[in-house]
This record gives sequence, C-alpha cells and structure tokens, in this order.
Amino acid sequence: MVTVLNREWHVVGFRVGRETYGVPITSLHEIVRVPEITAVPDAPPYVEGVINLRGKIVSVIDLRKRFGEKSQTPGKSNRILVVEHNGRLCGLIVDSASEVLKIPAADVEPASTVFQEGGLNCVTGLGKIQGRLVVLLDMARLLDLSGDKTPENKITEQARGAAGSR
Amino acid sequence: MSHSYDDRAGELREFFFDTAQELLQQLSDEGLKLEKQPGDAETVRSIRRIVHTLKGDAAACGCRELSELAHEFEDVLAGEGFSAGTSLAEAVFTATDVFAALLKAYRRKSKLPSVEPLRKLVQALAREQKSLPPKRARKKAKTSLPATWSEYEKLAMQQAAQQGRNVYHFTVRLDPHCAMPIAGRQLVLNAMAPLGEVLGTRPETGSTDAARKMEVLFASDQPVGQLATRFHIPTITSEVQQELLLEAAKPSRKEPAKAVETPAMEPLEASAPAVPVPSENILRVDAERIDNVLNLVGELIIGKSMLQQAMNEFSRRFPKDPARARFADAMAFQSRVLSDLQRSVMKVRMVPVEQLFRRFPRLVRDVAKHCDKQVELTLSGQDTDLDKSLLDAITEPLTHLVRNAVSHGIESAAEREKAGKPAHGTIHLKAYHQGNQVVVEVSDDGHGVDVRKVRERALQNQLVSAEEASGMSEADLLSLVFRPGFSTAEEITEISGRGVGLDVVQSVLQRMKGSVELENHPGRGTTFRLKLPLTLAIIKALLFRVEHKLYAIPLNAVAEIARARQSDLHRVDHYEVLQLRDQVLPLIRLGRTAAEDHKIFVLVIHMGERKLGLIVDSLEGEEELVIKALDDQAVATDLISGASILGDGRVVLILHLPALVERFAKARPQEAGAMTSGLLLSHAERHSAGAIPAVGGQA
Repeated sequence: MVTVLNREWHVVGFRVGRETYGVPITSLHEIVRVPEITAVPDAPPYVEGVINLRGKIVSVIDLRKRFGEKSQTPGKSNRILVVEHNGRLCGLIVDSASEVLKIPAADVEPASTVFQEGGLNCVTGLGKIQGRLVVLLDMARLLDLSGDKTPENKITEQARGAAGSR
Repeated sequence: MSHSYDDRAGELREFFFDTAQELLQQLSDEGLKLEKQPGDAETVRSIRRIVHTLKGDAAACGCRELSELAHEFEDVLAGEGFSAGTSLAEAVFTATDVFAALLKAYRRKSKLPSVEPLRKLVQALAREQKSLPPKRARKKAKTSLPATWSEYEKLAMQQAAQQGRNVYHFTVRLDPHCAMPIAGRQLVLNAMAPLGEVLGTRPETGSTDAARKMEVLFASDQPVGQLATRFHIPTITSEVQQELLLEAAKPSRKEPAKAVETPAMEPLEASAPAVPVPSENILRVDAERIDNVLNLVGELIIGKSMLQQAMNEFSRRFPKDPARARFADAMAFQSRVLSDLQRSVMKVRMVPVEQLFRRFPRLVRDVAKHCDKQVELTLSGQDTDLDKSLLDAITEPLTHLVRNAVSHGIESAAEREKAGKPAHGTIHLKAYHQGNQVVVEVSDDGHGVDVRKVRERALQNQLVSAEEASGMSEADLLSLVFRPGFSTAEEITEISGRGVGLDVVQSVLQRMKGSVELENHPGRGTTFRLKLPLTLAIIKALLFRVEHKLYAIPLNAVAEIARARQSDLHRVDHYEVLQLRDQVLPLIRLGRTAAEDHKIFVLVIHMGERKLGLIVDSLEGEEELVIKALDDQAVATDLISGASILGDGRVVLILHLPALVERFAKARPQEAGAMTSGLLLSHAERHSAGAIPAVGGQA
C-alpha cells in the first residue's frame, strides 16, 4: 500500500490527540481548512458529514472520534486531509497536519508484531523517526467501513433490505 | 477560425440529418392527425410544407433520390380534394418510413433501400386525382402575390421581406438556340445563388419540363439595378425581366396566421448558405465541453465565496472606507450573474422527455395495427427534464417495453369485452422526478403477467429447478422474466407469453446504474418502471431548517405549509397529530420536541393518497437545486436522496420522502415515542440525553 521510494516511506504526518499518524503521500489529494460540515442522518458516529470540495461532495470522517480521542477541541490548526483511494475521495479531520516525513524502511515495524489480531485493523506499521513514533495507516482499511458497522447502521441496513425486497 | 470546404459540407450534412429527423417526426405527427381527421386541408398543407422542406434540404446535400422522391410526393399532395383520406395518411406513414430508410442509408453511406412501395402509392394517388382540376387553379390567395406561387413560397417571401431583403420576381427567357433548357435554367439559378436566395421557381427546380421561360422568386439585399444584368448569361438567356414584389423591412401583416407556421420553414433557410441565418437555433455540442464549463462554474462559485470572505475581513478592518459599498455592489452583481450562469449551464444538458415520448404514438399505432388491436396511448410528464445521454440510452429499452405492451400486454378487443373492459386498450407513458431519480413508467391495462406461466417457462428453459421454484415467492417468480434466457428467439412473434428480451432492458438500465421494476396486477395490467439515478437533475426545492441544519424537499411534494405552536399538537397513541381545518394530519418529527410555546412549521406533503405533516423549525425559501448523488458508502442512507451545493458553497441534503414516510410507518407504536425524537438527528444527538448543540459548523 505504502509507497517505498529508495527504501523510504514517504508519508504525510498529522496529529490526532497526542499521536502522530501518517498516510502515504500518494493517497493524499489535498489538505484544506475545516469548512462548514453538513451532518448526514443515520451516519456512523465518527462520520462527521459531508463537505463541498469545489463542487464535489466529499464525506468526512473525524479521525479523533474514530481513534477514540475523548476531547475534540475545534482549533485553528484543525485540518481536513482529503485522501483518495480507488477513485473515491474522503476527508479526514485531524488536529493538525504536519510535514512530509521520510522514514527509512528499516525503521518501520509491521503492525502485526506490535498489535494482536483484532486490534487497530487499519494500522500497517509503526515508523520511528528521530525518536518519534509514527502510526502508519492503511487507506483501504481506514476507508472500508463495511467491516465495522455501528449497531444503528445495521438497523439501517435491515430497513433498506426490507424496503428493497418489497 | 477557418474551415475547409469539406468540413463545412460535412457539418451541413450532419445538420441536414438532424433536421431531417425532426422533419420526419413532424411528418409522422401530421400523419397521425390526418388519420384522425381524414382530408383536413390544413394538415395536408402542413404535410406538403414539410415534404417540400425535406426536398430542398436533401437536394442541397446531394441526396438526389430522396429529393426526387419527396418532389413526386409533394406534387401529389399539392392536388386537391383527397376523397380517400385514410389512404393518404397511409401514404404519409409509408413516406416517413421510406425517407427514414433513405436517410439512414445516406448517413451510413450504405446501399439505398428500395423506394418502390412509396412510388406505387404516390402513383396510385396521382391517378386518383387525374380527373380533378390542376393545382394551379386553386382559389386565389387574399394577397396581391401572384397566384402561381404556393403558400410556402409566399411565406418565404414574407419572411425575407421581414428580414430586410427585397423580393423580386424575375422572368427569364432562355435563348431559343440553347440546346439544353434544363441545364440552362440551372445555370441561371447558379448565377443567382451568390447574390441572394432563390425562394421558388417555375418550372420547379429539378423539373424536366423543357420550357424556355422561367419565373424565379428571389430575395436579395443587393441594389435593384445590378441584378437583371448579372443574371443575363450570353447564349443562354435572351431576356431577363425584373419586378419588385415586396420591399424590404416592410413587414407584411396581411397574413398573420402564416407567421405561426414559421418553425416548419427554418431548415429551408439553413440550406441557403449565402444569406445570414437568423432563425437557426440548434447547436451540436460535445457533452464533454458542457461538462467542462460546468466544472469551471463550480470553481467560480468557490472563488466567489473566497472573495466574499476577503471582503468581510476588509470591512472589519476598514469599517469607514468608502470603497466598501462599491465592493459590496460589485459582489452582489457578480453573484447574481454567477448563479444565472450556473443555472443556464445546467439546463444545457437537460432535455424534456417529450423528445423521446413523441415517437411513440406512431409506434403504438403501427404495432396495434399489425396485431389487429385497438390501443390508445396517453402521455404525461413530457416536460420532465432528463440528461440527454440518459435519454438516448433509455430509448431502446423503452421502445421495447412499449412494443411489448401493445403486442403482449393488451388483449384483443373481443377478449377485452369478454373480461368486461373497454375494447380500447390503454397504454400510459409517464415520467416524473422522484428524489434524485427520474422514473419513466409504461403501464398497460391488459391481462397482466400470469405467474404460473412464468414458472412453467422458467422450468422449461431450466432457469430454476422445480425445487427452487416451489420455494419462490410471487415477487421472486416475477423477477425471473428479467433473466437472460427466459425468452427465446422464436417467441418474438408469438403473442402468448411476455418477457421478450426483458433481460436486455434490465442490463441496459443496470449499466446506467438504474433499475427496472415490474408491477403486476393479474387481469388488470402491468406497469414497468424504469428508474434512472441522476447525478445531474434539477428540482425546485423547498429549503428548511431542522435543529439548525439545512434540508430540502422537492417543492412539488409540498401541498401546503402551516404554522403552529408546539402546544397545538396532539398526541394520539405515541403519534403526534395536528388538526388542520377539518382533517387530522399525522406528523413526522424530524428534530427534537420543542418547548410548548415554540413556533413551528408543518409542511403538508402528499404521499400517494395520504397526507402527512413534517415538523420543521424554520423555512429558508425555495431554490432550484442541482442534485448530486450522495453515494459514498460512509454516508449512504435511504433517508437522503441526494445533496446539492448552494450558491454560497453550503451543502444541503435533499430528503427522500418515500423512505422517510416508510421509516415512520414501520416504527412500532412503542418506538414511535423514540421516533418523535427526530428522524434526522445524528447518532450523538439521539443517544445523548437532551440538549447538545447541533453538530456541524465547525471552525
């Protein structure tokens, strides 16, 4: 998933809570300030809603909620990372976006050695750079929401199924 | 920009094919009219005009066979007193088909089809009217124009005069020694063409009459003196006389009724490239170019909101600066133009579904006649707008369904009477918007689908095993008609079962991310419903707020808007109701229950037979919205049919009313209490106790 250039991982680093995360730079579409977000009924709790990205409607996930951060203080440094995966755009709300990080491949530990199965399933690895820990995220798993429906969403699914079979 | 001659000729040909299609459609419409009112002089005249236009255009584009045929047909039509009106209608239909076949052959540059059927009909008609007085002896028109000119030529004269050109009448005598009078006449016309427009000639163009005298109606903006000498061709012409018939820029009001018929004349003018073409109003544009413009408009709107923000900051910093007002004016002006621009671009891609529907009266008539049935076609919702590409894509499936409905759906007159139905079967075509979908329905009042027969057929063709079939519900069995392999080739002509090639219909619809549904009422009829999801559709919507969040519903769903206070609402077994005049309206609560003295609005909506009220906090007005699909899996919900971006960049969600009502209806009474906490509340709002301010509007 992650681009390895010259045995380096090129990731965009950002902060959620106290942690630094990274997504492959190739998945990044752009970084924007947080605009007005339109909430969508029935959406899972960590889906904040949709935004207008120059005429495109893009759904926005609050990574702070997704990663279980208790406090979400809206601040000036808050950003939306618009990422692209399989042609689909998605916004990720983060506390702040930092720089592009180049992590030598040797300094990345695969997630499986750190987490038990069933843990954070969207983490591909942990990178170490100048003593900091960077959690590397797998776009496919992060954006694939079918695996972890909230109970309410399952109800929606059933309702839709019932409606469809009529 | 310069085009080579070939480019232009090709463009002209393409244009001709387009207008010719339109002409053929008009021809078939008039044919249907004639069939209903045989011998109606006005209809015959209008048919003749159409054929004449076609003739001229075809000749200009080098489609000689078509032009000749049209000419023959036109001559017959120019006669008077058709006693056998129906046979004329038949001839019109045959002509339409033959012309269409010819056009297709021209377009594909393939072998021309046989035109014998039309020739024979035309000859038969010509014989019929041999005994009647010749066409030139028709009663004189009220104008001062010479009676020898036909009505369309007179009309063309008047148009030319209105466009600021003089209309002349030239009498050209050919030199008695000229060996080829026909070619000679052509040469004279060629000499005229660069100086103006030839409106009509006697003898007519293409005529093989060897007459040495030619009369020409000619429109030109050239000065009077020059013309006659320019047209004199040594050794060919011996004398050219000119007479000014109509002077330019004096609009003739003598025949106001004729002005109405102008549209039929447009293509004729297009075939005369020497003059400006003011009434040409069809433009062929690549859809991609329009999309590009659309995207750019989107960017502009963002640019506008950026500018607006900068403006606000400027106003804050320099509250006393006189430039502020000027900025504000300019902004207001720009945003108005911008929203007009956006709307206009949106509309470019949309065409009314009428363009597709209008071909069906003829189709139904033909198929019904072929199957010896009496079928009436009714249409509704023709003005429903649909993206052009979608319209093109559903043409085939819809034609298929309509054909099917006539040949398989509607019973014979005898059968219908036995079943106590009117002998006339009815097929109804209907189009309407439903959320972000456009629905096109084909319904018939025939015998419906026999589910037992469907099962038999499915077993016979080994689509399902007997075991599977026994476990299938009626709906499941019905859906088998869409399976590939359900029908076989030999059944296309057979009248018994239905489901001929329905798998094709379904695959086309699926390719467009649409769907096809079958609603079956045994003994009473069938409805096929084509649903097309739209990424680009415009609806008029009512905007309102619930819990500070903006939503929209289609304006046409709103029957009325009532004001009320929370205290006016009653609670009946967990359901909230409002007494509105003499009826009790069940209410759907979208947000949270408000305080007792809180003012609310109730939007009364129609859902089929039922009326329901939606409780909303405030109204934001109505607006034309361009619907965008909200199909991202993270936010997909059946409550929302789409989203739209407002002029200021805000996103508004468009509620899908059927789903909303269904959700509401499905809630069991004990849950209905929970439901009153609001269908549109977010997860967090619904599960946390009481008053959490609405999410959204970060930053």
